[in-house]
Amino acid sequence: MLELTGVSAGYGEAAVLRDVSLWVPPRSVVALLGANGAGKTTLLRVASGLLKPSAGWMSLDGADVTGRAPHVLANRGVCHVPEGRGIFPTLTVRDNLIIQAGDGDADDAVERAVSAFPILGEKLGQLAGSLSGGQQQMLSLSRAYVTDPAYVLLDEVSMGLAPVVVDEIFESLATLAAQGCALLLVEQYVTRALELADYVYLLARGRIEFAGEPGELDAERLMARYMGGTHA
Amino acid sequence: MNELLPFVIIGITTGSVYGLAAMGLVLTYKTSGIFNFAHGSIAALAAYAFYDLNVLRGLPWPVALLLVVVVLPPLLALVMERIATRLADATATMKIVATVGLQLAITSALLAHYGSEGLPFPAFLPVETVSLLGIEVGIDQLVSTGIAATGALAFYLFFRRSRLGVRMRAVVDDPDLLSLSGTGPVAVRRSAWLIGTWFAAISGLLLAPQIGLDALLLTLLVVQAYGAAAVGLFRNLPATYAGGLLIGLLTALATKFVVGSETLAGLPPAIPFLVLFVVLLVAGKRRLVEVGAQLRAPVSSPLLTPGATKVVVLVTLVVALAIPLVVGAKVPVYSNALVFVLIFASLHLLVHTSGQASLAHAGLVAVGAASFSHLAVGAGLPWLVAVLLAGVIAVPVGMLVAVPAIRLSGLFLALGTFGFGLLLERVAYRTDFMFGTTSTLEATRPAGFASDTVFYYVLLGFAVAGGLVVAVVNRSRLGRLLRAMADSPTTLTTLGLGVNVTRVTVFAISAFLAGVAGSLYASQSLSATGTPFSAYNSLVWLAVLVLFAMARSAAPVLAALFVAVAPAYGGGEAMVDWMPVFFGLGALLVALHQAGARRSGDAQDADARDIGSRADERIGGGSAAAERLAEVTAANTARNGSGAPDGARLRIGASR
Repeated sequence: MLELTGVSAGYGEAAVLRDVSLWVPPRSVVALLGANGAGKTTLLRVASGLLKPSAGWMSLDGADVTGRAPHVLANRGVCHVPEGRGIFPTLTVRDNLIIQAGDGDADDAVERAVSAFPILGEKLGQLAGSLSGGQQQMLSLSRAYVTDPAYVLLDEVSMGLAPVVVDEIFESLATLAAQGCALLLVEQYVTRALELADYVYLLARGRIEFAGEPGELDAERLMARYMGGTHA
Repeated sequence: MNELLPFVIIGITTGSVYGLAAMGLVLTYKTSGIFNFAHGSIAALAAYAFYDLNVLRGLPWPVALLLVVVVLPPLLALVMERIATRLADATATMKIVATVGLQLAITSALLAHYGSEGLPFPAFLPVETVSLLGIEVGIDQLVSTGIAATGALAFYLFFRRSRLGVRMRAVVDDPDLLSLSGTGPVAVRRSAWLIGTWFAAISGLLLAPQIGLDALLLTLLVVQAYGAAAVGLFRNLPATYAGGLLIGLLTALATKFVVGSETLAGLPPAIPFLVLFVVLLVAGKRRLVEVGAQLRAPVSSPLLTPGATKVVVLVTLVVALAIPLVVGAKVPVYSNALVFVLIFASLHLLVHTSGQASLAHAGLVAVGAASFSHLAVGAGLPWLVAVLLAGVIAVPVGMLVAVPAIRLSGLFLALGTFGFGLLLERVAYRTDFMFGTTSTLEATRPAGFASDTVFYYVLLGFAVAGGLVVAVVNRSRLGRLLRAMADSPTTLTTLGLGVNVTRVTVFAISAFLAGVAGSLYASQSLSATGTPFSAYNSLVWLAVLVLFAMARSAAPVLAALFVAVAPAYGGGEAMVDWMPVFFGLGALLVALHQAGARRSGDAQDADARDIGSRADERIGGGSAAAERLAEVTAANTARNGSGAPDGARLRIGASR
């Protein structure tokens, strides 16, 4: 279980999250929804250790990991696929995969990434920055396949991609879930996220406004309130 | 051809070592965003450590070598990584000042402890020669070239192929993302610093046998690596190594061609700086992208209310007027201090008001001193006319320094001006336009004001006038433009105000004041020579000025007292030798403190940047709020940024 309890966080004096509690049970898919500026990205940054919470604590499978460095959490099975393109643009695709492998076997990492996203196999020697947007996102996402993480935090991985690529990305998310990874999903395609999700959290102005199962969520009404309309 | 071959061999030998040193420099700069001005002094430190262990303590040379190469670099790397990480939050000027301070501290400590006389360095490599292409080549030269070339190649392969090498390249791209991939950036940066200091240490050990043990010379020899780094545009490692070879070759060949010319004798050692200056100018801002976050000057409010400031100024003036009556025979010490007030005031205008770190200031003062002597003694002009004309002559030189200021900013401006300063010192100082080959010129005091006490009051008049000029500039439209430019040149441009004229203007005013100060310095000491105005002293002055940055506008006065008066009362020779060490460490601490203060207390500014640039999260209800926050922060910065009383009017074009 990845567990955040009473977490507040922000940038300097600007508080973004206030007293947020959230659980990601093992092997489950949790969707985190909310309008722009609600604090979704900040919450993921806290969960992966990029941002230290100003209050509250965080535990991973029962152990307190509050304030641990991102690389410590990464090595303990938390994989954060950040917003934008989580790649090193000046490195080749192969070098990116080697970095993703951490201290693990590099060849094995390449093999896993290529079996998940075959297109990457053709681009191994190419600079990551020269890939298309969809390919960059696949390379970013491949980190979830390379290291066998227990928890994968996904921040708008479908953003700015062509619909056909979005389909491919969602398929890969389903594969990850089927393989037994727990997913914490921040998504703009709300309905598609809800289709995958076992639990839903709704974040508004830095607070949890709703927590429950997707069926409990009166989609139309809440979407109208928090999204300004349905987005799927 | 055979005539040239020995020079080519010397060129390759030294160039190879420069290349190695430069690769270490570029590596640490790329991975940490901190350009290590102390790189050369680390080379010197290694050479002295070897000398100490081998000669003074009698350890066999392999043991001494092992200790220097295996023990010293990791220790330094740990310290450097800490310093660099902490400096990540400092402004461009402070990043420069910090490592300049460190360089000053290390080099001056070596000079103070081991003496400034060059010491014979033990030739630990065999000095026999072998015949190569019909030329006798020293085995030590071959070994040295071999070590440097092998080191460079091995490192390049390591950087391209090994996992740690890949991580070093990744940490340049995005340290956060590297951390998310399970690799701590600190460990990677530490390894980069280890390799960087290692290369510096090795180059020190390889250069010392050729030039003897001289801390200043060794420090400056590795400064030659700056030129090599510039050829690689501060990021390309093979090009950096090639740049080292190029500089070595050009220098050696120039030595051959200027043989016999007294005037041009300074050219060969100046070639690296010529290369540095030219490459920086040609490359310009577009091709030279600084590594690391670019931050604005910290928010600071005035120390005193306008009323209190007036009282302090008045009291200072009264004390200054009374000094000759009190200090007796030490009047010349205080006269000297008054000259330094003017020097520091002109530097303050550049560094603090306009946020441009210039490292060529001693050169401008030197131009003033030399011109004054030519005008007053050579041409027999009246004293005051000569002083003012000397200031005017320094103006075009200052505008020449301003050329890099237009093309470059931040670190590269500092490097460009440092290159220019060194060039000036090596090439121009000994020409007949300046101090000539005899290197000392006569200087005079005005008739009727020649006694020390009376001349003190003349200097006081100039210092007050200089202070007024700076104050007027600060309060004028130009001053507001300058502070706004220090804050954000982009904003200024978007408001439709060109920054280039502003940049050149401030360099011109500063140069005029520096030139006048040079005349007064010569007048005060009754002779003009280049020694007090070495390019190295530009570094010292900047460090001292920053040391007193807390005092805001009073910094030039305190800095002058510190430089000129404190040694006269300190505990003799030893104290004077060790003072630059304290200047250097002090400047480093001030820079670290500023970075630390920004991180904790004044975090607001950095946060707005964080939120804005990374577009992490918009606060509250969307982008309007983030924009509002940025606006408020910008307004705060503008209001308090300069610490000037009229700061509230700083936002050009905006209604109050």
